[in-house]
Amino acid sequence: MRRTTERRPTGRRTTERHPSEGTLRRLVDEPAGVADADRAHVAGCPACLAGLAAAQRDAAAAAAALTAGAPGGADAGTDAAWHRLSAAVAAGRPRPAAAPRRRWTLRRPLVAGLGVAVVLAGGGVAAAGDWLQVFRTEQVAPVTVTQADLVALPDLTAYGDVEVLEEPDVHGVPDAAAAEAATGLAVPQVAELPRGVTGEPSYQAGGRVSAVFTFSAERAAQAAAAVGEQLPPPPPGLDGGRFRLTAGPGVAAVWPSANGVPALVVARAVAPTGESSGVPFATARDYLLSLPGIPEDLAAQLRGFGGTGTTLPLPVPAGLATSEPADVDGVPATVLTSRDGLVAGVVWVEDGVVTAVAGSLGADEVLAVARGLDG
Amino acid sequence: MAGGDAVRADLEQVFRTAWPRVVAVATRVVGDRHRAEDVAQEVFLSFARSSVPAGEAAGWLAVAAAHTALNHLRADRRRATREEAADRPDPTTPDVADDVVTRDERRRVRAALGRLPRRQAVALVLRHSGLSYAEVAAALDLSPGSVGTTVRRAESALREELTRHAPNH
Repeated sequence: MRRTTERRPTGRRTTERHPSEGTLRRLVDEPAGVADADRAHVAGCPACLAGLAAAQRDAAAAAAALTAGAPGGADAGTDAAWHRLSAAVAAGRPRPAAAPRRRWTLRRPLVAGLGVAVVLAGGGVAAAGDWLQVFRTEQVAPVTVTQADLVALPDLTAYGDVEVLEEPDVHGVPDAAAAEAATGLAVPQVAELPRGVTGEPSYQAGGRVSAVFTFSAERAAQAAAAVGEQLPPPPPGLDGGRFRLTAGPGVAAVWPSANGVPALVVARAVAPTGESSGVPFATARDYLLSLPGIPEDLAAQLRGFGGTGTTLPLPVPAGLATSEPADVDGVPATVLTSRDGLVAGVVWVEDGVVTAVAGSLGADEVLAVARGLDG
Repeated sequence: MAGGDAVRADLEQVFRTAWPRVVAVATRVVGDRHRAEDVAQEVFLSFARSSVPAGEAAGWLAVAAAHTALNHLRADRRRATREEAADRPDPTTPDVADDVVTRDERRRVRAALGRLPRRQAVALVLRHSGLSYAEVAAALDLSPGSVGTTVRRAESALREELTRHAPNH
């Protein structure tokens, strides 16, 4: 047997010391992680070779024992598992106090879409202090998304800091006049209530909501790393760039129904606008769209809005709702209908004000209400 | 905006990347795919409201899966007798390993795992779920060198446990 101190023909020095049990174990399944000198020693040392063989046997036995009952290579059922987790997470959350269906039709897509929309929509130009207006909602357009896409839309908090400057503070007010006094917006009057909707509405008013998003290259890199992706290099000036999103104030008239879901909601709010602290906006938008996590076809759909900076993408979950174009007194509108046919809504934007009519109604009924609004 | 129990923003991203591995880790321990998914759901629920840095999420989840699954084993032992009668048949197609290792043997493996020192059991399960030595080291705050030692001891102890409790020996 060779002495462990000799030089090998390769010129590599072996070591006299027997490598530890742990090193032998690593030789079994990750030999590249073991030092050359240790590997050279083991190759020429009967005691270590015997130890290595024992380690191999035990490792194989452990692998067999641990994988028994574990279907190899089976599909992990990620989508179904994600739905289950989402439901459990939602169930653990405080329930929203009001109108869950209305939140679904209007609020949830808006929440998902707004943060993205402000960065996505291209560059109009209007100076406001050191802020540059880059986005002004003049219309909404449905973007068909799957449930998976909807949650995959990048939450901006993963890419930087979101600071809420103004909270909307939605609260009940006694009547339409009080709502108008609080917000400066007239509550549209419904000419004729659909069949089955009765009684007096309650009124809600909310102030302006604004938030500033500061892009952080470091945070975005972490978010990318978490999904095993490399962050594309941010364009110059984007790191630390600030974007401000403003929406509201808003008012709503809500007709209740026996089951708690509003029979009818008529809501109006100052439409979202976005401003930048000077970062070229098309640059920021294209960069955001290149980040890992945005489904490619959705990104393509959103890129289609580029340039005008006036279209608010309204994500519509493909499995849950359908959308179709309509018009309300000559203004383009989007009608959303839940697939179960129980809820419908119509949204349109005119003069920087977004109006929505929704409820436990059919599409034709909400359109009739929308077209009959006074004010 | 972010309250104390706010759901983390990167939840789905992390979930979609890490779910298969978290299930794999739990399956190594509990030996049953359905129960492993229950364990994995529990792990992600904790993760959802945690502030674990995104860069450490994968390691955190793997370790949490191993610990949670091992905790389930401990609870199982207390009701072992009942479980024996009600053991759910494995719905997956039997493969070679299933032929060799019977359900009874699987139960002995779980019992043996439950008797190992916790750190050894976790290191063993993580390595056999495909984590590299460096990943196991980072997840358990060990040096890569001592990962090998810990895994080796665990495998040796597992063999002894299985031999000692083997039927008809």
